[in-house]
Amino acid sequence: MLYTIFYGFSIGAILYFVSIGLSLTFGTMRVVNFAHTLTYSIGVYVLITFIPWLQGNFIPAAVIAILAVVPISYLIERFIIRRLYGESLDYTFIATFAITLIGVDTIKLIWGVNPLPFSTPMSTYLDFWGMTFPVYRILIFAIAIVLFLGLELFFRKTIVGKIVVAALDDKDGVRCLGVRVDKYFSLMFIIGSALAALGGVLYAPISAVQPYMGLSILLLAFAVVIVGGMGNLRGTFISAFALGMVMALTARYWSQGAETMVFIVMAIVLCFRPLDA
Amino acid sequence: MKQTDSQGIGPAPVLNLPVKKEKRAMEILIIGIGFLILVPLISIHRVTDFMIFCIFALSFDLLYGYMGRLSFGHLLYLGTGAYIYGLLIKYFQTNAFLAILCGVLAAGFLGILLGPIMVRATGACFSLMALAFNQIGFFLVLSPLKHITNGEDGFGAHAQSIGFLNFSSKTTMFLLALILLLLVFYVLKRLTASPYGILVRSIKEDENRVRFLGYNTYFYKWVTFVIASSIAGLAGTLTALNYKFVNPNVMDVHQNVGVVFACLIGGAGNLYGAIIGGVAYMMISNYLAIYIHRWEMFLGLSMLIIVFKFRKGIWGNIQDIGEYFRRPKEIRPAAQKGA
Repeated sequence: MLYTIFYGFSIGAILYFVSIGLSLTFGTMRVVNFAHTLTYSIGVYVLITFIPWLQGNFIPAAVIAILAVVPISYLIERFIIRRLYGESLDYTFIATFAITLIGVDTIKLIWGVNPLPFSTPMSTYLDFWGMTFPVYRILIFAIAIVLFLGLELFFRKTIVGKIVVAALDDKDGVRCLGVRVDKYFSLMFIIGSALAALGGVLYAPISAVQPYMGLSILLLAFAVVIVGGMGNLRGTFISAFALGMVMALTARYWSQGAETMVFIVMAIVLCFRPLDA
Repeated sequence: MKQTDSQGIGPAPVLNLPVKKEKRAMEILIIGIGFLILVPLISIHRVTDFMIFCIFALSFDLLYGYMGRLSFGHLLYLGTGAYIYGLLIKYFQTNAFLAILCGVLAAGFLGILLGPIMVRATGACFSLMALAFNQIGFFLVLSPLKHITNGEDGFGAHAQSIGFLNFSSKTTMFLLALILLLLVFYVLKRLTASPYGILVRSIKEDENRVRFLGYNTYFYKWVTFVIASSIAGLAGTLTALNYKFVNPNVMDVHQNVGVVFACLIGGAGNLYGAIIGGVAYMMISNYLAIYIHRWEMFLGLSMLIIVFKFRKGIWGNIQDIGEYFRRPKEIRPAAQKGA
């Protein structure tokens, strides 16, 4: 049982990485970004490409993977998303889905359709009160906590963070103060995409690597964002861990039902929550 | 989008309200002849496929084009129809018509159940909830109901012939699909031209204003949702009848993009648009996939082009050209000279 809770925390951490960017893009730009987890899969594939080059060094390869996502996400933001500000949600939805289709196809073109093998970079275990925990999963959880605290500080203490928080609340108001909101949105988009890539890089060793991997986690990330409230950063944090726990607990008793249970929880939450978006 | 965008305020222009009976008959005749012309060009089996997809596109268009709710999980209802049809044929009886009726009713019933939850949401929430429900349905037939649905492999469902109707004959299937398509088209045409249809379109334009007028928009949205899901269920039963086979692919979440694409390329918010878009999409997916290997990329690129440059779709552009020539020469806008 303790193991289950522990796994729930690590899944929750991954969900948090992936959905924070989604929540930010939705909250600031009112764009439902279907292409968000495209960067997640690209990050993983870049990582896999670079690991043999670096003689199996995981951390530099991960850094390269996350940096590689930055220009790609900038291009997506600059040429597609920016042109969709203020449009009806349907069009942004369709356009970003189209980007996903193109991206997945590009991945297939470059790396092939078949799943790639990939194993945990750290197979050490930590003994703790007579139980063994894989260090890797502890590390994921620790990074999530650090990231959460870091983002909290970022949004409260730095001027950039404050501008973004203000823009989440009232975009036009911030613009009236003479702040170029678009620039900050662009920055947020890139940070969100890089975080998704981080999630992908950390999750890849414990999941399967295939071109459609982004789509399956995207649905989960959407569930997290909806349950947590769109654009609500702390809500995203809590709901990511809550849903991660739901997944882990379901998987313990009924392994195929894990992902579906998340959607059932989401449907129940939606039944009782006022809908604003 | 629709023509109302440029006007900004004011009610949606009520076009083609008093349609004469003869005109409607003409329209149906034209569509029927159109599909008959397609038969010698491409094989009859494929045209049947096209028409079934068009029924599905029509139901999607009612939801998206008319009511403005983009559902990314509409295949759930198609799949429900197909599965109920298949299971009835497989386990209980072999009368195809009864099974089709049950399939449609089941999809409609699912719409009644999920409708109250779904229609509260708008925009992104609606799409994502539809997606989530579709995923749950897909999972249900794939895994927990495996002992009756046979999981990933699916199962065969052979309907016995009724009188002279032999369902394994291609011609019979073609005629059945054609008649049902024309029936659906007729019903939707009547429905969308009725006061109810105008109300649904007004909900798309501005729901708050409709509520101010004293209408219970919640109820109308629910009814529309149920109608759309029933028609999708009909398309599902026909798919199963046509292939004599049901597998979870019929409600695969990732296939939903097809009908969205069809509706957009044809021109959303118009029944002709849905039919033209359905045919166009099926043409592309059937033939282009042979020549272009990277066919998903093509789909993505063309969707981007549609969103940025071609929002009215094929039918919207045809309408524009028609409008241009219908005007007296003096007031034709100069900018459209090339049209």
